[in-house]
Amino acid sequence: MEFISVYLNLFPVSLAQGAVYAFVALGVMIPFRVLSLPDLTSEGTFPLGGAVLATLLAAGYNPVLGLVVAILAGVVAGGATAIIHLLLKIPSLLAGIIVLTMLFSINIRIMGKPNTALFDFDTIFTQLLNADGGAPLSQFALLMVIILLVCGALFWFLHTEIGVALRSVGANQMMSRAQGLATGWYIVGGLGLAGALSAFGGAVMAQYQSYADVTMGAGVLIIGLAATILGEAIVGNKNLARQIAAPVVGALIYFQVVALALALGLRPSDLRLLTGIFVLCTLAAPLIARRLARSG
Amino acid sequence: MSNNHRTAVAVEGVQRTFHPGTVQEKRALRGIDFELEPGDFAVVIGSNGAGKSTLLNALAGEISVDSGHISVDGIQIQSWPTHRRARLVSRVFQDPMMGTAAALTIEENLSIARRRGHRRNLRLSIRNDDRRVFRERLAPLGLGLENRLTDRVDLLSGGQRQSLTLIMATLNQPRLLLLDEHTAALDPRAAELVMNATTQTVEEHHTTTLMVTHNMNHAITFGNRLLMIHEGRVIFNAGAEEKSKLTASGLVDRFHDAVSDRMVLN
Repeated sequence: MEFISVYLNLFPVSLAQGAVYAFVALGVMIPFRVLSLPDLTSEGTFPLGGAVLATLLAAGYNPVLGLVVAILAGVVAGGATAIIHLLLKIPSLLAGIIVLTMLFSINIRIMGKPNTALFDFDTIFTQLLNADGGAPLSQFALLMVIILLVCGALFWFLHTEIGVALRSVGANQMMSRAQGLATGWYIVGGLGLAGALSAFGGAVMAQYQSYADVTMGAGVLIIGLAATILGEAIVGNKNLARQIAAPVVGALIYFQVVALALALGLRPSDLRLLTGIFVLCTLAAPLIARRLARSG
Repeated sequence: MSNNHRTAVAVEGVQRTFHPGTVQEKRALRGIDFELEPGDFAVVIGSNGAGKSTLLNALAGEISVDSGHISVDGIQIQSWPTHRRARLVSRVFQDPMMGTAAALTIEENLSIARRRGHRRNLRLSIRNDDRRVFRERLAPLGLGLENRLTDRVDLLSGGQRQSLTLIMATLNQPRLLLLDEHTAALDPRAAELVMNATTQTVEEHHTTTLMVTHNMNHAITFGNRLLMIHEGRVIFNAGAEEKSKLTASGLVDRFHDAVSDRMVLN
């Protein structure tokens, strides 16, 4: 049973990986689920966060400052998508593609080159764990603490007056306007929040893998979406706590499934095909179920 | 003129043309004029395409006007966006699904309405005092919604959702309440319940109200004013005394007279 030993070897690393991707999964969940506004900008804000953090670390700044600036950059990028969508009346998907395309150039400008290695610099992992960045399981534990703090903050925010108003805008724009909400500003803020989470995820990723690369965002949207759907299938989304937990649980499970697939001998390059097929199946499932119900 | 004596709502020369200069050009509002006194409950009737919905949307801010003035409590609002008007104007939609946020709980929906016209901040949206107010307002409906504050709104029936929308529209008293055929999509029992709740709150708070309806019995029974709209104009504006004498058949005759007079004049 070589497969089991290979999987067990991969297990700690894939746990930590799942935790790293939980942030961007939250950043994907917010537009799709809270705002009901599909948005792809995370493919650009994820590397943006990595690029900003890497540049600041390489310039000798503290990783915490790097994370804060990465969050701010993500807010601006996410907000930009919203403003393009609202002012020019461009569908949100297209607005996001435009922004993530432009971010590719911006991210290279920020770093001055397509990638930045961080092996020689302090990260949150070297500062909080040990000099070599810690073992995968301690990295996982540290990330889970940060994830719980982020989820707690998100849960609180979405219960404040502004947070409930944001969810209301996502649920029903006409009603929200009639209740005095300037829906445009809430959409800018909501996509800004999503951008912050994705950029934070990218900044954590850059520290986790000790380098930032301008292409590191390719495929994160579909991973985030797969994680959200998978998580919702497991914990549900009937209330806000479950909706927030879903992308986190989903990201953790997703990378276990990935580890299993790799242990079974699949190539890493096959994973996107599998992820795409998984998302397609979950999107098609309700339709197929309805057809079966009608014919049966 | 609208500032001197206490006029609650003044609509003067409001015009709106859709798709101007094209083959689909439609002059939906061709100069609407009327005034409402504080506490007036005006019923708006008219055939399909007469401009009733456009008028309501123009008052709410969903549709901008080409010319004319709309003032509420002496404040001109015709250039304000919908969310700004929400301080003065509230609305119950025809579609029971439109007035509430399905994915939010009953109390979250009510908390949104409770902050209408106020600045929203980072305090928790629902506090204990809010729950007491929500229960007090929901209980008279007799639907048991006061015991279901944490249920999501998508669990409610159309009549329950429309009742909730009505409470949301009147939780903070508006200066003008707009009712857009708000019982038309309900079954007769739910329609009666919502209509009773409407008259109760409107009478209790002397809310200035504009109600669009296709139901001639409602048009006769409810309200103290009646506006008949045809081809984008008010063709019959009945005051309290005149309205109290109207009958459903009289109203239909009145409509045909007005329309045929107009055709002769044209």
